[in-house]
Amino acid sequence: MRNVSTFFSGVLLFLCSLPLLAANTLPAKLDWKTNLDAPVWADPAAAKGGTFTDFVLVFPPTLRNVGPDSNSAFRSYINANQMGLTSIHPNTHEIIPELATHWAYDPDGKTVYYKLDPKAKWSDGEPVTADDFLYTIEFMRSPHINAPWYNNYYTEQVLDVKKYDAHTISVTGAVARPKDELHYYYGLNPTPKHFYGQLNEDFTKQYNWEIIPNTGPYQISKIKKGKYVDFSRKKDWWAKDNKYNVGRFNVDKVRVKVIRDANIAYKHFEKGELDSFDLVQPDFWHNKAKGDIYDKGLVEKFLFYNDMPRSASGFFLNTANPILADQQVRIALAHALNFQRVIETVLRNDYERLEAFHTGYGEYSNAKLSARPYDLKQANALLDKAGWQQRGGDGIRMKDGQRLSLELTYGHKEHNDRWSILKQDAIKAGIEINLKLLDPSAHYKTIMQKQHEISALGWSTGFRPAFWEHFHSENANKPQTNNITNTASPEMDTLIMAYRNETDVNKRIGMAQQLAQIIHDQGAFIPSFKVTYTRGAHWRWLKFPATPGTRSSGSLYSPFGDGGLFWIDNKTKVDTMKARKGSAQYPVVSTTYDQFKTSSK
Amino acid sequence: MIKSIALNPQSRRRLARFKTLKRGYYSAIAVIFFIVASLFAELWINNRALIVSYEGQWYFPTYGDVIPGSEFGLDYQWETHYRKLQKQFADEGSDNWVLMPIIPFSPFENDFIEGEYPPYAPSVDSGHYLGTDMAGRDIFARIVYGFRIAILFSLFLLAVSYIVGVMIGALMGYVGGTFDLVFQRLIEILSNVPMLYVIMIVASIITPNFWTLAIMLAAFGWMGMTWYMRTETYRENAREYVLAARALGASDSRIMFKHILPNSVSILVTFFPFSVVGGITALTSLDYLGFGLPAPTPSWGELLQQGTDNMEYQWIAISAVTALSIVLTLVTFVGEAIREAFDPKKYTYYE
Repeated sequence: MRNVSTFFSGVLLFLCSLPLLAANTLPAKLDWKTNLDAPVWADPAAAKGGTFTDFVLVFPPTLRNVGPDSNSAFRSYINANQMGLTSIHPNTHEIIPELATHWAYDPDGKTVYYKLDPKAKWSDGEPVTADDFLYTIEFMRSPHINAPWYNNYYTEQVLDVKKYDAHTISVTGAVARPKDELHYYYGLNPTPKHFYGQLNEDFTKQYNWEIIPNTGPYQISKIKKGKYVDFSRKKDWWAKDNKYNVGRFNVDKVRVKVIRDANIAYKHFEKGELDSFDLVQPDFWHNKAKGDIYDKGLVEKFLFYNDMPRSASGFFLNTANPILADQQVRIALAHALNFQRVIETVLRNDYERLEAFHTGYGEYSNAKLSARPYDLKQANALLDKAGWQQRGGDGIRMKDGQRLSLELTYGHKEHNDRWSILKQDAIKAGIEINLKLLDPSAHYKTIMQKQHEISALGWSTGFRPAFWEHFHSENANKPQTNNITNTASPEMDTLIMAYRNETDVNKRIGMAQQLAQIIHDQGAFIPSFKVTYTRGAHWRWLKFPATPGTRSSGSLYSPFGDGGLFWIDNKTKVDTMKARKGSAQYPVVSTTYDQFKTSSK
Repeated sequence: MIKSIALNPQSRRRLARFKTLKRGYYSAIAVIFFIVASLFAELWINNRALIVSYEGQWYFPTYGDVIPGSEFGLDYQWETHYRKLQKQFADEGSDNWVLMPIIPFSPFENDFIEGEYPPYAPSVDSGHYLGTDMAGRDIFARIVYGFRIAILFSLFLLAVSYIVGVMIGALMGYVGGTFDLVFQRLIEILSNVPMLYVIMIVASIITPNFWTLAIMLAAFGWMGMTWYMRTETYRENAREYVLAARALGASDSRIMFKHILPNSVSILVTFFPFSVVGGITALTSLDYLGFGLPAPTPSWGELLQQGTDNMEYQWIAISAVTALSIVLTLVTFVGEAIREAFDPKKYTYYE
């Protein structure tokens, strides 16, 4: 009898301890780090309140952050309000806490442990827990989201997420990396499991216009399709008192209006309906930013030099096209495009020539590369060698009855003049370039379907050069990938995978530079311009800290992300709107900030 | 000149009456002059020389193939820069000479002045009498070549819409019955499609060229003529001469082409000028919005867009607006005069 009861109690005890055994255990002696010592970049005295009105040229094709058509410019508004585990300080590039309060590194070099902030909450009030991170893996690997890049990344690059308790997780990546890069490559965002639940094939359609719960300072509060999207500041945002958030995200509401033409948008700005306006385009800065409102000091101008990776902007040649499949033709085309003339004339020398695909990445950029200059001798010599010696009656080269005629698709009518100049000068090399202006979303769709011949485009940047999405053969010749040149080179593939998996910093740098050289040699990307600053104008009721931006500021007027530094002074606004009709004179402000100016390539 | 064409007495009377309407008559002469001038635009506005005399040989580059620079002893293979060649020959003092058109610029050429940013104001020194646009292209050239494109577009559009409209309208009136009913309903439905929107949607997905754009506009424009032709045909069909022809055994097609159409179509002439105005306006509007012909085609709409986007450079907008106003006003005068010439009454009061 006693033996049986002992036996059963033993079994019971064993069964009760099973859950504890099943839970993961943290390794002993983890060195938990945090970083509350980095400098703040906002003004803690910033006043809260007001509505900031911004504009976009096209209404977003979807509010999803993954899946078809989600890769549009509007997604940056949505992503900026989804916090990550940690963040990279915009000026010093240190790791600073966000959703995680502490982090620790595993000796294996590819796993990071995170302690989640117990205060963290979704916009619908639910707490952010470890389960949301586990769900991210499930979500990103699901075929229902129709996002092959994410499927691949969260299978091959981010290998595993483990839960230790409700607020402790670890993320394991594919290869060991330098410690700060671990956060960049393997740091995940949580995905609200309670919102998505079970995914099915209807994901794309079902979540097209759904407001996904987020963890950032603003959430979409109102959508008028085709007209505007309103973001409202969360009154009790869980992170509002965190050290790096004090003095940021000050306006109560951000209204993102749709204004289909930038010239018309500028007129809205002149009337005070938009609070600020980016004036990077030369004709805007020189021709439009003048007049009473500037002379009376009602509108102020800032020019702010920044130091960040430059957008890979230029002409992307579809190597699947029979004419462009010939590398000599591609190089000849590069020598036949007179970008310098465009810079010196219609761009008023405000822009510079971009030299390579990955520019501004510090040591990871290959400083030896230079863009091919306008050289008709070279262009003509190469084309003669490539079999295009014969010239038709109109001066355009021919080969086997086919004319050397290419189509350039682009999405902005402001670029008409730039490409017209290139077209005229290319005729001297015997190349005919037909300009094809499309609506921006139609243009993007064409590119994603790989139906273009030459396309003018600029990619946004990341922390480190990315090669796989743009140049690996796995993404070539299929739709909805970012390999829009259809580059498929076995030599490059090996090197790209080696770069992706390399642990040693110096070896990675070497590979990045080697890849940059190969990209240059292949010539499927012809770089166009880079801008090493941001500049714009704003009404004087928009107030800024002493340094109005950061090293990584792409625009001084970004209400989200690393920005959100400005605030609206309501009294100034009332006075200024009244002063528009009067004769009051305020100090004229036109300031240049060059603390982050760089001359490196 | 006109006497050599055999006109029936009615037409002769109308022509005589037209000639007495001085405003319309002189406008017509002016418009015809403009059209002819623009058709031969390459002879007086062009960056290609009219005649080049080089080492005893004569060259006429205007309408022919590209003549590479190497032909004239220059060291490049692409098209000769004739203005520079002219200057070079003058500097050399040789027997070679170049005769350039009066305005030596092409509408596509980006002519930049060292050290200055475009657009350049009108000046006699630079040769740009109306200045240049934002990309350094001569405005006078863009206006003349743009006029040519607009007028040819308009005439082609007119021809297609009228031929289709007249045919279908006449058939509707002649055959009558169910055919007429069905087509009437069809035309009503098609007339309700918002033309400009559809064209804008199509143009933002594919970039139209001259012909596809004209066909698209014609596809929406043919319906206007059918109403008029239908009523005219119905009326003529009931007349006695048609009855007589039928009694004599004339076939349907003979009645249509020999009796009905000549009597109805002559009055269509009164609609021509207003359709031309409509065609020019349609093309200009589409180009202004960016949904018309692709860059860098010279176009009044595109010039207007540049002008309104850059009001501080007034010469761009002023040139485009003035050209449009003049041409459209003249064509309207012609239209009014034709209408009055065709009016059976000597005095008409419009209410």
